[in-house]
Amino acid sequence: MSKSTTQRRNFLKLCGTSGLGFAAPVNWASKSFGQNVTETAPYDGPYYVVFNAAGGWDTTYMMDPKGVNEINRLYQEGDILTQGNHRLAPIGKHIQGGMSNEDFFKNYGDQLLVLNGLDYSVNNHSPCSRYMATGKLDSLAYPTFAALVAACNGSEVPLAFLTFGNYSATGNVVPMARVPYLNSLNRLANADGVQGNARSPYHDDFARDRIERALKKQMQARVSQTGLPRIDRSQSMLYAAQVNSKALERITPFIPKSSPKERLSQQADIALASFKAGVCVSANLSIGQFDSHANNDRDQMKLIPELLAGIDYLVKKSEELKIRDKLVLIIQSEMGRTPNYNKGNGKDHWSIGSIMFMGQGIEGNRVVGATDEKQFLIPLNPKSLAGDEKNGIRVRPEHVHSSLRKFAGIDDHEFSKKFPLQVPDNEQLDGLLKPT
Amino acid sequence: MSRAVPNCRLIFVAVFLWFHTATAQEPQPKILPPSTCLAVDNYFADEVWGKVGERTCLKCHNAKGDASESEFLLLDPAMDSKKRAAAMRQNCEAFQRIALSKENDQSRLLSKVTGGLDHGGGEVLKKDSTAYRILKRYVHRTQGLKDDNPTIDDYEAPPFFAGIEMISPPRLLRRITLSLTGRLPTPKEQATIENGGLSAMDSILDGLMQEESFYERLREAFNDILLTDGFDGNAETAFSYTHFHKTRLWYQSRDPNKNRKPDEKLSYSTPEMRAYYKLVNDYRAAMRREPLELVAYIVRNDRPFTEIVTADYIMVSPFTSRGYGIFDELKDQFKDTENAFEFIPAKLPALTDDSSGKVVQESKTGTYPHAGILSTFQYLKRYPTTETNRNRLRVRMYFEHFLGVDILQLAPRTSDAAAVTAKYETPTMQAASCVVCHKVMDPIAGLFQDYYALDGNGIYKPRKEGWYKDMFGPGLEGTPLTPDAKWRALPWLGQQTAKDPRFAIAMVKHVWYVLTGRRPLLPPEDIDDPMFAAHRRAYRVQRDEIEQIATRFAKSKFNLKVVFKELVKSRFYRADGLSTSVNNPRRLAELHDIGVGRLLTPEQLERKLAAIFGSKWGRLTNRENKLGILYGGIDSKEITERNTQPSGAMGAIQRIMANDIACQNVATDFSLPKKNRRLFPNIEPSIVPGSSVKADKQIRLAIVHLHQLLLGRFDKPDDPEVKRTFDLFAGVVSDAKSQKGLQPLESYSCQSGREVTPRDADPDYTIRAWRAVVTYLLRQHEFLYE
Repeated sequence: MSKSTTQRRNFLKLCGTSGLGFAAPVNWASKSFGQNVTETAPYDGPYYVVFNAAGGWDTTYMMDPKGVNEINRLYQEGDILTQGNHRLAPIGKHIQGGMSNEDFFKNYGDQLLVLNGLDYSVNNHSPCSRYMATGKLDSLAYPTFAALVAACNGSEVPLAFLTFGNYSATGNVVPMARVPYLNSLNRLANADGVQGNARSPYHDDFARDRIERALKKQMQARVSQTGLPRIDRSQSMLYAAQVNSKALERITPFIPKSSPKERLSQQADIALASFKAGVCVSANLSIGQFDSHANNDRDQMKLIPELLAGIDYLVKKSEELKIRDKLVLIIQSEMGRTPNYNKGNGKDHWSIGSIMFMGQGIEGNRVVGATDEKQFLIPLNPKSLAGDEKNGIRVRPEHVHSSLRKFAGIDDHEFSKKFPLQVPDNEQLDGLLKPT
Repeated sequence: MSRAVPNCRLIFVAVFLWFHTATAQEPQPKILPPSTCLAVDNYFADEVWGKVGERTCLKCHNAKGDASESEFLLLDPAMDSKKRAAAMRQNCEAFQRIALSKENDQSRLLSKVTGGLDHGGGEVLKKDSTAYRILKRYVHRTQGLKDDNPTIDDYEAPPFFAGIEMISPPRLLRRITLSLTGRLPTPKEQATIENGGLSAMDSILDGLMQEESFYERLREAFNDILLTDGFDGNAETAFSYTHFHKTRLWYQSRDPNKNRKPDEKLSYSTPEMRAYYKLVNDYRAAMRREPLELVAYIVRNDRPFTEIVTADYIMVSPFTSRGYGIFDELKDQFKDTENAFEFIPAKLPALTDDSSGKVVQESKTGTYPHAGILSTFQYLKRYPTTETNRNRLRVRMYFEHFLGVDILQLAPRTSDAAAVTAKYETPTMQAASCVVCHKVMDPIAGLFQDYYALDGNGIYKPRKEGWYKDMFGPGLEGTPLTPDAKWRALPWLGQQTAKDPRFAIAMVKHVWYVLTGRRPLLPPEDIDDPMFAAHRRAYRVQRDEIEQIATRFAKSKFNLKVVFKELVKSRFYRADGLSTSVNNPRRLAELHDIGVGRLLTPEQLERKLAAIFGSKWGRLTNRENKLGILYGGIDSKEITERNTQPSGAMGAIQRIMANDIACQNVATDFSLPKKNRRLFPNIEPSIVPGSSVKADKQIRLAIVHLHQLLLGRFDKPDDPEVKRTFDLFAGVVSDAKSQKGLQPLESYSCQSGREVTPRDADPDYTIRAWRAVVTYLLRQHEFLYE
């Protein structure tokens, strides 16, 4: 075995699992020792976007309309609209801005998969957010789906897992990247240029190459030394972060010149530029304030259209960038709202809700699962996906995440196995995310 | 075990922890004499006890648990490390007895855990679960039956720190001076540590903990924990309109434009207006800082740290005291009445209606019922409440901040939470799965009832309709709050908290976070993980250390400096390497979290740069620059957790920083007289590598100096790392010779000063090569990590 092969194996061993921690590897596959560090290959999709309606959305004003039993004050059962197989709450008359259900389902209903009757199982924001993001209720160690898929598909790209808030644990499988402002990307893209100007480098090219080679040699030397696992991991992650960051140069052409005002659109622009440049696998987008304990209808009529408009913005911009067909969207919240109003015209936490999917490989115009007229879930036959009061199961986040992992092709990945969801075979929702 | 017992599986971890701590002082069952359990084997310790007994059975089957009258009674070995072995023997005996005992030809142990024999806890384990399989195998082994399972690896655990090298005292000194005070060690401190070794550390720490920079770090670190900086709105909104509307905007009287006509108003850029806005900003910053100043005041004056929940005073500055309307009474106590950040302790009078002047807050002393941080307006405003939440967020944060318990860490799952919500009129008082937690939380929520303003503008404001009747009444641990104590409910809560053993442990965990940048380990959860036992051991050893330090902290009358001293000397903080390579996966898993290895925060990195180069870079902490958030910082509001693993974005910032700092400092340093240089006191740009043996030696010594200054390495000239740096320097100089068209000058951007004309001469390319060296060093782990 050659020395370089041994070193590389040592390095990969270092980057592999060690206890609970992991390290994000450099893209060694694309280079060999002794040569100049080469650029990380662009990640070419699919790109995963998780939209979070943080605080708990009112699904009865969206994809699971009721209009009975005083669940909704803004419409009655007879007002409920349909779009293909979807049923939707009529909100167009009650909103001041953003996008209505009517327009959203009209534009995207044929691509949209809705799962109603999801059992969040608990009623508190913190565990619910964790549960919905990871598929695991009783652990703080699990990564979110967005982090996991980034780690499995492209942990070597510099912004593999981009997050703008909400629960964002990584399980130590991939670093979390926060890029809160669009113009931040410009600053990061040209780290070797004075004031970010690529035409005015700090170092002459030959000196810069020497620096990089010296750092690489040092890393190689340290791989073979005896060190504490934690220190070894952090050294390799640091080296990976610096080397992989050079790929950010590719992002410059895709940074929009102006930034929109809307919260989700700003996040979408950053995510899309990063996707297009091949430096990002997944993005966790979030807007909050859905927790409408007071004046539920007022708040939800403001926030639901904002959420839908944000999704619409991202989809349309992705078309302009020609990456629309590589996007997978997951649209969720950590809980629903009660089927009754409280004294303050608000609605409190409800452990039953919905989730939506659309994008590459997802068969749209489908509604799976349901709730009854009192907003309780109807158990689901996991194989037929039909309601089954007697023998059905309560679909919980682990069922959804198990399906998502299979759909993304990462269920057998070493990282996924490290964080098992333990859904029995007879409860797997085989047909939920079936490819088109 | 046949007594009717609520479903133990639903017992919330917070309650569990509460309960166990609360019972720490209770009489324990008599420990039986050892028999066959004289030596507890690995299978029992790691599998039966570690994965099932401790996590499942012990919750009820203990002296104060729901199954306390059961014959199957267990001890918690974690309660007292001195009695741990005896407790394990006791537990082993108890398991053996019930495993061997049969009913209907089935081990009672296996029958009970699956809900048979009228088990009070019902079905605790399913037959297809890992835990059940462990017990089944245990019963087979205990009964002498054939065990077809794979043999159990009898891992002989070495002493936990065996083979781990500790950091040398000089490097430890550098670590703590940078970490706690943001500076390099002084020559005197270096001499002290070289002569006295580790035993000299206490006296050095005593000195460090008197420096103002330590308190800057302490405030910053406790804000990471409490996040009080992040309350919504302008800082002065922490003063409620009702009580302070006449005083909270005191600064407006100093507005230079106050009495000017519209066409005579000064523009924002005039010195008068800039000074005015600085005054306003300082006032707001001081207001946000008050709770953290309380932390600093207590530590600085060696007061019991329990005062963070019991202090009958707050910290005010000349500016904030004006906001409270108490400046005139205090002004003689300030050294400088125009210093926004000179803080002194003060008591507020009971709150009055600012319009009528009437006292609206009940107080038997005439003062506001202070309870350390708990009753500060900033804390209450940072964690507001709603008609539905009813102060429960505050209770959650109280548990987390002052007792070290995350009550939402592991939420209980019910079969149908929505049905429970709908079934009961008041689920939190009626549904067993809710009651188990709410009977602990809601009484404490009631202690905050007089701070119930919902609009975020007021802090003290009892609920108009009176406190909720559909909640467990105000109190603590079963002791109700008496009506005559209602006015001082929070001070009472603070006093009870200070007596709680969990308080000391929580504070040690906070200091652990301050020093290492991460929270202590949590107990492992996944019993299917083959490394479960290893992780459990790592957790247990760390927990023991924390508990021991907490004991010493309490004995020192809760002097927080003692915790810093103890943790700095602990092997967890000093672990630095392995003396020999470790190949055993279990041992590696045990050691997975050992060592500090902390990525410096933006603030720490800026302080380190200032300590080494004489001035901050500034771009990581300048709020307008916003690089701090990109580099993993927090805003205390939306982003509250520091990013501890560098992303590619952070890697780019590291490259920018290294390039820029080297650019700013290398030519500049060479331009100074030798005696004033930090980076290159013993070398000149005229020394060219390869020109002579002497020259190469000088260069190596210069590199040794840079390694020590930048990286904290104490290398010899022939160290491989020195050679690598030398090769970089020599390689760049050599490459430059073969390049055509290079100017014999340092670059325009990196010249020593704008006034230098012509630019710094660099005929041999050595200044630029040294710049490459400094860039290289600034990108290294030893510089960017602690």
